[in-house]
Amino acid sequence: MTRITLALIFAAFLGSEAICAADKEVSTFPAYVDSDICARLMLGPITSDRMECSQKTHKDGAGPVLVRLSNNMVLNVNKDKMINKLVGQLANVSGELKVKSGEVKLQAVTPIEASSIPAGDPGRKLLDVRTYRTKDAPQTYEKIRHELAMMPYISEFDFISFAMLGDTVILSGWTVRETNRSDAQNIIKNIEGVGTIVNNIDVLPLGSFDMRIRAAARAALQANLSRYFWGSGSDIKIIVKNGDVIVLGTVANQGDKDIAGIRLNGIPGAFHIFNLLRVQSSSGKKKG
Amino acid sequence: MTNKQFQTLFCRIAIALPLVFSVSCARQAQAPSSETASSSSAGGQAGSEQIVLRKMPAGKEFSGFLKDYSNLKPNPNLDLNALTFVRADEQKNLHKYIAMIVDPVQVYLASDADESKLPDKARGVGARYFHRALVDAVSSAFPVADEPGPLVLRLRAALIGVDVGGEIAAGDKSAASEGALDHAINIGKVGVEMELVDSNTGEQIAAMVDRENLGAGAEIGNVNFSRQEKWAAAYEAFNGWARHVRDFLDSAQELSADDAKRADQSYQPY
Repeated sequence: MTRITLALIFAAFLGSEAICAADKEVSTFPAYVDSDICARLMLGPITSDRMECSQKTHKDGAGPVLVRLSNNMVLNVNKDKMINKLVGQLANVSGELKVKSGEVKLQAVTPIEASSIPAGDPGRKLLDVRTYRTKDAPQTYEKIRHELAMMPYISEFDFISFAMLGDTVILSGWTVRETNRSDAQNIIKNIEGVGTIVNNIDVLPLGSFDMRIRAAARAALQANLSRYFWGSGSDIKIIVKNGDVIVLGTVANQGDKDIAGIRLNGIPGAFHIFNLLRVQSSSGKKKG
Repeated sequence: MTNKQFQTLFCRIAIALPLVFSVSCARQAQAPSSETASSSSAGGQAGSEQIVLRKMPAGKEFSGFLKDYSNLKPNPNLDLNALTFVRADEQKNLHKYIAMIVDPVQVYLASDADESKLPDKARGVGARYFHRALVDAVSSAFPVADEPGPLVLRLRAALIGVDVGGEIAAGDKSAASEGALDHAINIGKVGVEMELVDSNTGEQIAAMVDRENLGAGAEIGNVNFSRQEKWAAAYEAFNGWARHVRDFLDSAQELSADDAKRADQSYQPY
């Protein structure tokens, strides 16, 4: 018995060497240093609007993240301090990359200029606004949008967004149910015209502190803006992450957007309020 | 030793030790007991002391476990012999909750059951297994929470009509020594009553009463379930009821035609 146990320990040590080595592989890649909010909402190119969004929301309290230029993957970092001052800029990043959990354990971060990214590098795509202007698959886009809209377990506390880059679909947003993250990917993967899927949907913590804020935020908005809520859903989405509140969706006028902001500012315990509601203009076009 | 060397060593130990322990433990215990499995589950049902044994009132259709039976109706969306209720209140309905506490499952004996033949450990066997099946079935739709709070539902469930079965054969008792029961538990005519209530206020949000005649073969005999063929019927029944609960939740989450239209119009990616 003792011999078997010793042999097992030895074998396990040998096996673990390979696993640990694989887990600790260091990657170096160009990335855009973004705020958590803009990275999960503005899936388009790195324009001056995007940079402004990143810097403003970061200044207002949103955490910093990295967006890997080659595939638009959003990565949480282990040390915010290393990238805090670079929000809104491009950087060359080295660290242990964990693709499955969307994390990178930073080792080095160096600011770079866009011109330093070689021509032909996949990262160039994210910098080129023309990549996103061509909607060459409107039917595919509409099918994806419709399927995501019909997901059954989407509550007022989930918001899933997406963008298309050629046949690559980038899913993003936040959800309180882990299964929504995988379900969103599963329901669109067989749609004709969908190739690669990058899944940046963030699963939110369900701690009691955030739960109280969620309930209070919904009650506050329902009390004054009840027409945007119905039995099984709402036009307004309330995202709560570690005390920060992001409110999304479309309202009819600026007054409703302002009311939402005022009501949410009165919620006890909420750290930062990000009022990103869009206003539907008289022509039906939405404004941010 | 450098920091990196220390991390590598720590990583190796972290991987190696559980592997060695799991192999050693597997050699010691050929068949894990149901108690062990139950206690490790999320929102796990603790020991048998939590199982409160009650009796089905004689001549009554329902046990009295649910807070309210008056709204129960046959549900055409479910392929079951079940009565259900889903609250349609705009403010308080299933869509308004995002997490769930799964309470320990209660047991109601059949009206004429001889309670004295049912030892303490027998009371919890089916209840604990069913609790675990429920947690497994609902947790991907409603993450399981540990404490009550806003947006959290409480799932209360009871096995109704449990009876004391025949005496366990001597051969089966010896097969799993400590785990064996003296008498089997007959669940041939057992039903399930469950309800979802607001974890803060206790208001009923949804309810389901399900009956399924499993026949004379449905018995739980041995705690370790290693040699009791009859356990298969009970096992299937518990898993089946747990699936019914999930089907019920899924059907209640489906959008009505009006809501689907509104959700489609409303949703625009940023």
